Amino acid sequence: MNKRSFRRALAGIWWLTLLFLYLPLAVVALFSFNAANSAASFTGFSLRWYQRLLGNEEILSAFANSMILAIVSSVVALAIGCLIGYGMYRHRHRKLGWLIVLIYLPIVLPDIVFGISEMAFFVQIHRLTGFLQPGLPTMIIAHVTFQIPFVALIVYSRFVGLDPALFEAAKDLYASPVKRAVHFMLPTIKPALISAFFLSFTLSVDDFVISFFTAGPESATLPIYIWGAIKKGVSPEINAVATLMLGAVAIAAIASLLFSRRRPA
Amino acid sequence: MSDSMTADASGKTPPTSAARVAPTREASAIELQGLHKRFGRDTVALAGVDLDIEPGEFFTLLGPSGCGKTTLLRILAGLEEADEGRLQIGGRDVTDVPPHRRSVNTVFQSYALFPHLSVRDNLAFGLKMQGLAAAECDARVAKIAEFIQLGDLIDRRVDQLSGGQRQRIALARALVCEPDVLLLDEPLSALDAGLRSQLQVELLRVQKRLGMTFVFVTHDQQEAMVMSDRIAVLNGGLIQQVGPPRDVYERPVNAFVARFMGHDNLYPITARDGDRVTTSLGQLRVEQAGDGELLLIRPETLDLLPGDVEGPNHLPARVVECLYRGSHAEYRLAVADTTLQATVNNRGRHLPEVDERVTVVVASDDLVTLAE
Repeated sequence: MNKRSFRRALAGIWWLTLLFLYLPLAVVALFSFNAANSAASFTGFSLRWYQRLLGNEEILSAFANSMILAIVSSVVALAIGCLIGYGMYRHRHRKLGWLIVLIYLPIVLPDIVFGISEMAFFVQIHRLTGFLQPGLPTMIIAHVTFQIPFVALIVYSRFVGLDPALFEAAKDLYASPVKRAVHFMLPTIKPALISAFFLSFTLSVDDFVISFFTAGPESATLPIYIWGAIKKGVSPEINAVATLMLGAVAIAAIASLLFSRRRPA
Repeated sequence: MSDSMTADASGKTPPTSAARVAPTREASAIELQGLHKRFGRDTVALAGVDLDIEPGEFFTLLGPSGCGKTTLLRILAGLEEADEGRLQIGGRDVTDVPPHRRSVNTVFQSYALFPHLSVRDNLAFGLKMQGLAAAECDARVAKIAEFIQLGDLIDRRVDQLSGGQRQRIALARALVCEPDVLLLDEPLSALDAGLRSQLQVELLRVQKRLGMTFVFVTHDQQEAMVMSDRIAVLNGGLIQQVGPPRDVYERPVNAFVARFMGHDNLYPITARDGDRVTTSLGQLRVEQAGDGELLLIRPETLDLLPGDVEGPNHLPARVVECLYRGSHAEYRLAVADTTLQATVNNRGRHLPEVDERVTVVVASDDLVTLAE
């Protein structure tokens, strides 16, 4: 095979991969605008399924739950993960091996194991104390736990990328510990924090398994609603919900990427 | 031992413990007593350093990497704590004062300009952190920008600056705070040779105009000699010699200082008879014989005469190597059964060639003996 046809073959694999990744999404998005009731054929363009969404109490409540869960858990995870990331940076010269593994474990742990454990844990807590009945609070706690490692990692890598002399320059230029945090560290890692927020947000909106095990009867999120709804068959309405979620997550993911790349101005 | 060996030789009485509390009359800019610093168990960075630095002095800490010079500077800045010893700055004991409460500023080797701030905000950072009003910050920043001639750099972003520009901003950011002492940690080492010598001159002028005490760290002995009022040569966490550049270069106290200042012509003294010392070169008369074990001959003090010439302190030699440098020529000569380096200024006269027989004339008052 000569060099040129080898390159063409590689390009072919690239396009094929993209096709497999995005064609199903495109189909869902297309059929969300279908005028017909069935998913068998596309008969014409219509926004009726989106209009139907606005009248569906269940979907609107699931949407609200998803947003509250995503925003609150991301903010909490940002605060805790930021502190952990800074702590990891400050003590990077010590041997933190096992501690780092403990912090990163949730990233590789199967969601289903994580979800079941959280559920069992919350049930026990509720049985013993009466607090933490399954619902949004338990879901928020569960989401925060799996978001923290991502935030910590992003913050840590931002700190590691900085010239260590900057911390000393801030001390040298009369900044007390509090002023160093406010006037040097937070502004310096701001892009990383914004990026971490959007990543946490996407992770939360995406999550089904852990939400499913920790949710209560009133706290269904969009993925949980969709899962319940498709048992009755995939309606064009579901396509519309999926398309909206796709759009929201794509925007958050792109925002996360942009801020992670941006150099502080 | 020469009077430049230790800083205390200036005749000052060692300060008493009472002197630590209140500012002493005519206080030194910096006074160090018995500083020790160790990293981990085995690495000794400072092994007992005593030093007095006078107000308005351009003082250089010179030595190879690992000699403790940077650790010493960091202890002055408060970025490192000494294990033992006391430190006074401007007559005040600051041994236990954190860096943000010391009237000391540092120009970092990497410049350490804040990437999230503009040049103007970088310059104002130290003033704002001290709680100065915005109007006064602006005035001081404008003044220093004019003094350092930053021109339109002031409105740039930090990542739009070249190395030399960053260096000047870093200097301005430290100077604007008007500290008692300015610390400079190899501030020119990242620059190319041309820019470096230009900024050396600029830095020196700034220091003289402000009359501020500068403590400068470098491993480059040429740079140290150009810039400094006094140099402290460090090795192994100890000060080897303190003195003006000419003292340190022309009268090094030991072999380490001599070699570090660039001297190669060191010969063990095998015998002594009054003012005559014997080395592998032969017998030479030395004006001030001292009691050192090594004889130092500086290459630029030697004269080469063509052919064999008899006379006192005349050594017969053969040219082994000649490096023509334009303004001067560097020679390697075979004398007796050893070699000798000589530098000859190019005055347009005959320059001996390789294998030519010459006579080396050694002036007795340029010879120095020193400790191993």
